[in-house]
Amino acid sequence: MRRRLLCAAADLALIAYFVFALFPVAWMVVLSLKPTNELFSTYFSFTPTLDSYRTVLGAGDDQGVPFLRFFVNSLVVSLGAVALSLVIGLPAAYAAARWRFRGSENLMFTLLSFRFAPELTVIIPLFVLYQQLGLFDSYVGMVWVLQLVTLPLIVWIMRSYFSDLSPELEQAALLDGYTRKQAFFRVALPLVKPGIAAVSLLAFIFAWNNFVFPLILTSSNAQTVTVGALSFLGGDRPKYNLTAAAALVSVVPPLLLALTIQRYLVRGLSFGAVKS
Amino acid sequence: MPGRTASVPTAGHGAGAGKRAVPAWRRSLRPYLLIVPALLLTGGILYPFGLGLYYTLFDFAASKPQPDLVGVGNYRRILTQPAFWDSARVTVAYAVGAAAVETVLGVAVALLLHRSSPVGRVLEKILILPLMIAPVIAAIMWKLMLQPSVGVVNHLLEPFGLGGVQWTDTPTGALLSSIAVDVWVYTPFVAILALAGLRSLPASPFEAAAVDGAGWWFTFRRLTLPMLWPYVLVAVIFRFMDSLKVFDIIYALTEGGPGDSTMVLQIRAYLEAIRFQRYSFGISYMIVLWAVVYLVTMVLVRYLGRIQNRAAEVER
Amino acid sequence: MTGPAAITLRGVGKRYGKNTALDGLDLEVAEGEFFCLLGPSGAGKTTTLKTIAGLEQPQAGTVELGGADMAGVEPYDRGVAMCFESYALYPHRTAYDNLASPLRSPRHRLPAHEARERIGEIAELLGIGALLDRQVGRLSNGQRQRVALGRVLVRPARAFLLDEPLSHLDAKLRQAMRAELRAIGAVRRTTTLYVTHDSVEALALGDRIGVIRDGRMVQTGTREELWHRPCDTFVARSFGRPRINLLPGTVTPEGHFRSSDGAYELPLAVPAPPGTAVQLGVRPRDIGLGAPAGTGGGPALELTGAVHVTELLGRATEVTVRIGGQRLSLVVPRAEAAGLSPDRPVRLSVAPESLLLFEADRPARPGRRIST
Repeated sequence: MRRRLLCAAADLALIAYFVFALFPVAWMVVLSLKPTNELFSTYFSFTPTLDSYRTVLGAGDDQGVPFLRFFVNSLVVSLGAVALSLVIGLPAAYAAARWRFRGSENLMFTLLSFRFAPELTVIIPLFVLYQQLGLFDSYVGMVWVLQLVTLPLIVWIMRSYFSDLSPELEQAALLDGYTRKQAFFRVALPLVKPGIAAVSLLAFIFAWNNFVFPLILTSSNAQTVTVGALSFLGGDRPKYNLTAAAALVSVVPPLLLALTIQRYLVRGLSFGAVKS
Repeated sequence: MPGRTASVPTAGHGAGAGKRAVPAWRRSLRPYLLIVPALLLTGGILYPFGLGLYYTLFDFAASKPQPDLVGVGNYRRILTQPAFWDSARVTVAYAVGAAAVETVLGVAVALLLHRSSPVGRVLEKILILPLMIAPVIAAIMWKLMLQPSVGVVNHLLEPFGLGGVQWTDTPTGALLSSIAVDVWVYTPFVAILALAGLRSLPASPFEAAAVDGAGWWFTFRRLTLPMLWPYVLVAVIFRFMDSLKVFDIIYALTEGGPGDSTMVLQIRAYLEAIRFQRYSFGISYMIVLWAVVYLVTMVLVRYLGRIQNRAAEVER
Repeated sequence: MTGPAAITLRGVGKRYGKNTALDGLDLEVAEGEFFCLLGPSGAGKTTTLKTIAGLEQPQAGTVELGGADMAGVEPYDRGVAMCFESYALYPHRTAYDNLASPLRSPRHRLPAHEARERIGEIAELLGIGALLDRQVGRLSNGQRQRVALGRVLVRPARAFLLDEPLSHLDAKLRQAMRAELRAIGAVRRTTTLYVTHDSVEALALGDRIGVIRDGRMVQTGTREELWHRPCDTFVARSFGRPRINLLPGTVTPEGHFRSSDGAYELPLAVPAPPGTAVQLGVRPRDIGLGAPAGTGGGPALELTGAVHVTELLGRATEVTVRIGGQRLSLVVPRAEAAGLSPDRPVRLSVAPESLLLFEADRPARPGRRIST
């Protein structure tokens, strides 16, 4: 009896936490469905409408916030950043896993320090630099600076995946008559494919969710959703329903992706420090 | 097994027809070739950092495109400025507060989920949801909910006689509200790592404790916590370091206000460098923060290594 | 011997950080020979194979294949096939694809239909014909080991390097596969370097055997040479179960062996300086129970002692006998040992030519055999 009571109490505590965790999202859904004229007069009873979404994803509001464009921008720069990091990071991660040499340890540590460095330390000089180089507010500039987020993640986690792989598999391939390159592409790479998929998605999510870089290094051309969502709060009359709709639209891609990689999250989030 | 023996293929290519020797120096070059692109890219990121360091020696600003060398003047100004120390205090308060609450709450959630009750199994699937929402978006959501007059939180509190709380409009309220948003976003981070830790703990010590009739509290204090600590510590380090450089949440929620009550270091550096366009001065702020974060990381990572070794011994 | 040796290692040294894996190893395997490398774990057997294959770069010495120096030659250019102790199978592919891997590589490519035929033959030979469509992850260890062996046998090679290829098979299958491997070796005459820690396997398979210890070659030779003329106590102990008896003692002024507690003396066939601390080696199967019968090889030596314990080994019995403070084990047919009970006095006979004399063991240096 006492045991059952304890169990129920534990479940209740859990439910309390999850109410706290989920309520804001639920409330955003409610807000986003409110028509503008009922925005401040009611809380729960109103006539739901999809107008906010239409406005946000359509031509923009009366101030002309091109949110759909921001969405596409987010997609382009996040994909670009992950792709570049994969091309550059996979060989480095492989080298760091297979060979012990001074250069790799230094590289690994420098990359880790990027993860913990305050972003603005690099961004402010970059802001000055980008304006001289014409990279301000450009896709290239964003993809470049997002490496600060995606490259350390990809290199560190892929090194841990490659390290888990027995080097004898590639050695066997060498003796089967394949070159080192073929051994890498035919043996090592297919075996870490789940890791690559997971870390790519995670890197995409982090790139997508980044706020400081686009805030400082873009203005309108390459601006992303995280900065864009703030624009609806500006103006003399904050448009809460539009803000809520924009916020929800911008969290959909990361959430969908996150659900597909639950299993691999632990290693990714802890930079390979914790494996499960 | 058949007594037959496979025949030899006739082709004579077993002997390795064209043997090309690879000199040792080229062999030792191999790993470097693989990391060259990453090194170049890293250099591309380190360059602006170095440039930033260089700028801090000048008084470079939009109003002063022809800067003068000031040496360590920027740093001296920062360290003698009360505003800096106020910011440092706020930053540490924020980081300690957020990391502490997230650790306790996260470990608690992990322990509750570890029981894997039917309710828990369902809820676990949506545990990561807040973590995958951009912090700035999370701050926007909470900003809408915490509006004193029209926000839903005060509306829900009204029946309890608590309506009209000035959430983000009082100094203490603003700091606590920002921490709350941080907690909302990042508690799942701690919970996920702690849960992974709990699931990887060896079963035998717990079985032994159960056989000995050890109580719940004893088991938790003497077994679960020491063995779980390395996992939790990884989470704590990540959270503490990250909240020392908090930016998004405060930028969207309070922009450092009211007054300077939530003016953490990155926000102040942002205002100095971007809004007031005092580049050198803003970067100097960041260099100071960077140095602090770097030192704290070193200390914590070393401590983590020691703890992980000790935990490995406990498990043995 | 005509032509250069298939595999020649001269003074090969390999260190991993502070650990020395190979310490000036010499090895020569003749063309077409089946050579067994025997040694305890950590002796450097696997490193030897990997060095020959070109997977590890030695820091000292030379590796030659067919007389050609292999320094800097890539593994895929050396034309050797290796079976890894860890199997090193590609877990994401089927058994068939694993076997086909060498035959699809640029160096050993065969047309698909020929490859299929060849894989079929090998699979049948190894008794894995029915498993070819299975994912490697769903095979048992023994099945994996046979697939790994198949991947080596399926392709042409100047030499096979096999690292404990039978270690995970059950006893019966191991025996059958041993026979099969011998047959393959006899028919193909492909040079084979076979690594094992099992002396029975080495004796059964090797044309010649090399005993390796601490990264050095201790002795190479035929099974008869290693059995009858081991160079030191380490090699002597490596072969034969139960192990060879090594009885400590000294050489008397008359050139006899006296046990360390003085309980018995035996005449020695080899001259040794009086006063030397020695060990007398005698294999358990070379000792007979009962009074010496006049066999052809001259007068047998006689010892007396008391039964300590008996242990049944199938059709034979191991009898441990106390002689003074020393213990001596011997293996006799089960019938002869019937009725032996502890403490019963027994007489033992041993032929003088089966006695081996060694120097006393010193720390980290087994006693060398004293010969004429």
